[in-house]
Amino acid sequence: MLEVKDLAVAFGSVAPLSGVTFSLAKGETLGIVGESGSGKSLTAMSIMGLLSMSDGRVTAGSIVFDGQELTTLAEPAYCKLRGGRIGLITQNPMTSLDPLKKIGTQVDSVAILHLGMSKKAARANTVDILATLRIPEPALICERYPHQMSGGMKQRIVIAMALAADPDLLIADEPTTALDVTVQAQIIRLLDDLVKQRDLALLLITHDMSVVAQTCDKVVVMYAGRAIEQGPVLEIFDDPQHPYTQALVGCIPRDLGDGEKLTSIPGTVPTVLNYPSGCKFHPRCARNQDICTTEQPELVRNGDSAVACHFAGAST
Amino acid sequence: MSNLLEVSNLSKTFSSSGGPFRRARTMHAVNDVSFDLPKGRVVGVVGESGCGKSTLARLILRLIEPTKGTLRFDGEDLRAKTSAQMRDLRAHMQMVFQDPYSAIDPRYTIERAVLEPFIVQGVKPSGGGAAQVEDLLNMVGLNPGLADRFPHQISGGQKQRVGIARALALRPSLLVLDEPTASLDVSVQAQIIGLLEQLRDELGLTYLFISHDLSLVQYFCDEILVMYLGRVVEVLPDTNRQACHPYTITLMNSTFVPDPKQRRVIRPLEGEVPSPFDLKPGCAFADRCPQVNEICRTETPELSKHSGHLVACHNPI
Ligand SMILES: Nc1ncnc2c1ncn2[C@@H]1O[C@H](COP(=O)(O)OP(=O)(O)OP(=O)(O)O)[C@@H](O)[C@H]1O
Ligand SMILES: Nc1ncnc2c1ncn2[C@@H]1O[C@H](COP(=O)(O)OP(=O)(O)OP(=O)(O)O)[C@@H](O)[C@H]1O
Ligand code: SF4
Ligand code: SF4
Ligand SMILES: [Mg+2]
Ligand SMILES: [Mg+2]
Repeated sequence: MLEVKDLAVAFGSVAPLSGVTFSLAKGETLGIVGESGSGKSLTAMSIMGLLSMSDGRVTAGSIVFDGQELTTLAEPAYCKLRGGRIGLITQNPMTSLDPLKKIGTQVDSVAILHLGMSKKAARANTVDILATLRIPEPALICERYPHQMSGGMKQRIVIAMALAADPDLLIADEPTTALDVTVQAQIIRLLDDLVKQRDLALLLITHDMSVVAQTCDKVVVMYAGRAIEQGPVLEIFDDPQHPYTQALVGCIPRDLGDGEKLTSIPGTVPTVLNYPSGCKFHPRCARNQDICTTEQPELVRNGDSAVACHFAGAST
Repeated sequence: MSNLLEVSNLSKTFSSSGGPFRRARTMHAVNDVSFDLPKGRVVGVVGESGCGKSTLARLILRLIEPTKGTLRFDGEDLRAKTSAQMRDLRAHMQMVFQDPYSAIDPRYTIERAVLEPFIVQGVKPSGGGAAQVEDLLNMVGLNPGLADRFPHQISGGQKQRVGIARALALRPSLLVLDEPTASLDVSVQAQIIGLLEQLRDELGLTYLFISHDLSLVQYFCDEILVMYLGRVVEVLPDTNRQACHPYTITLMNSTFVPDPKQRRVIRPLEGEVPSPFDLKPGCAFADRCPQVNEICRTETPELSKHSGHLVACHNPI
């Protein structure tokens, strides 16, 4: 459904993203994890063709969606995809909702625009979707305004909008970060059900390793703007090959016996302005050798997994 | 083990003023909360957004006045203290806030931020300001060279370390930590938790640790208080203890475990937290509770011993 290869993005002379490669099939959930500033949202924006809004551009690589190259796609065609076959859910529901319009009108407009539905058919579609999202009294809710709803409800409305045009790919950028644990569980559960019921492809961006552990089939780990490791979720958690992934997994409070401590990674994440040479993790890496400071390791594929490290494998 | 803090029947209500067409309404943000915090223990407080965790923290430090109840700190009745006495006592109890971005004044340098408590208390730092700052920054694992930077020049994790350094400035015995890692990445969270563990061991600190992350609380805390709509509904005296309160159990079931091997069907708690305004009589969890029966709608359950620990429920599991 989606194939991203060697994607690189620049804003003027700043190049925050490079070497991003992954693929996603129908009915599959792919998680993108990484710390703040690692390039997760930029990856999503590149796929949605929204970089030009902030003067960014794709400088290398390709994004193929259902056989169609997106990096060279003209804006009118992109417009049809966005909100149509590709749905987007953002962290803050208010960036997607208009505070002055009724919920029903907002969700209807998606199907009217992308599927050419009549107003009446669109409303029926909206009520249907709200009901599958287990929103009580969907017809009534359509008459409400966003401010009359809780954060969790608003996020469900945003999901309804993303689903209204029956997309094939859903991109969710931190969809539950602003929500309470119990509401988060409801939303993630919903997304999970949707993937199964509608055979959707879901790209789930999050920094919450618990969400990844519970929902994703595959995971891409990003560090300093690069995809540094990917593979099936079980392997990423239990047999990570990249020193950064190994350290990251050690930071998660799980499976610890009495007296066992969390491990932590020394130092801090570099920013675009001070990306190190060679392997971007080398100043913090215990396995670092001379070659690491000069040569950027390539992402090397091995079956379902891939890792970018000169000394991948054996733990330190 | 003696208690550093004893909280009894603590309540805080907020009221919204009425108008020509509106009734004045009362909200119970913290409702009849009692617990002890023994010296050297780490007690966790968990619960959904709005259940009163931060209000409880602010009541304990007397940043706001309780409506009812008593607070004893190191044997002394805090509510009997004058504000001058309270100011001296506050040196012994400090708070670390959730958001390192808003907790530090962006106009001041790190040095000034760390010295703030001395300025507020009107005391001279022993050994002089510069030496204190160096000492405190070292204590939280920050390079003292950062002292003349401004908050926007350091990372979120570093800011949270500054928040901790400042809280430690007056050598308190109690730290109230209100979601100290909620806005941080997991690797930075691990660094901060490691630092808190080390400080507890070195300085013999006592912590009240507020969080909505159950996995983290289970890892870090000795004992867990579960709050729902202003009340403590269960006290788990150790982290392996089987929960008995239906709310605690649903909360645990709707929490994601950070382990793909322990995948399970999450049964999220349906419905939303009821409004804390004008509480109905009976158990506040009744509308969402699978165990509910008649008595729950009329009588508010009190905390009482059940399978060896405190539970506030008529039909514990
Ligand atoms: N418009 C822009 N101009 C220049 N640099 C940018 C721009 N947008 C993002 N960046 C840089 O790109 C990097 C990646 O940002 P991105 O928003 O993708 O991170 P993220 O992984 O989504 O982080 P978070 O978890 O904080 O959302 C950051 O270092 C950021 O500073
Ligand atoms: N100064 C105030 N005036 C009126 N209501 C208040 C005030 N402070 C808090 N509240 C209310 O008291 C209740 C408890 O709030 P509190 O901030 O203690 O919750 P919390 O458990 O810390 O939530 P969160 O997890 O979102 O931080 C909420 O309903 C809140 O709106
Ligand atoms: S390439 Fe070298 S520095 Fe980078 S992660 Fe591998 S061992 Fe560490
Ligand atoms: S008192 Fe009743 S309603 Fe409340 S938690 Fe117990 S069983 Fe449920
Ligand atoms: Mg982002
Ligand atoms: Mg709070």
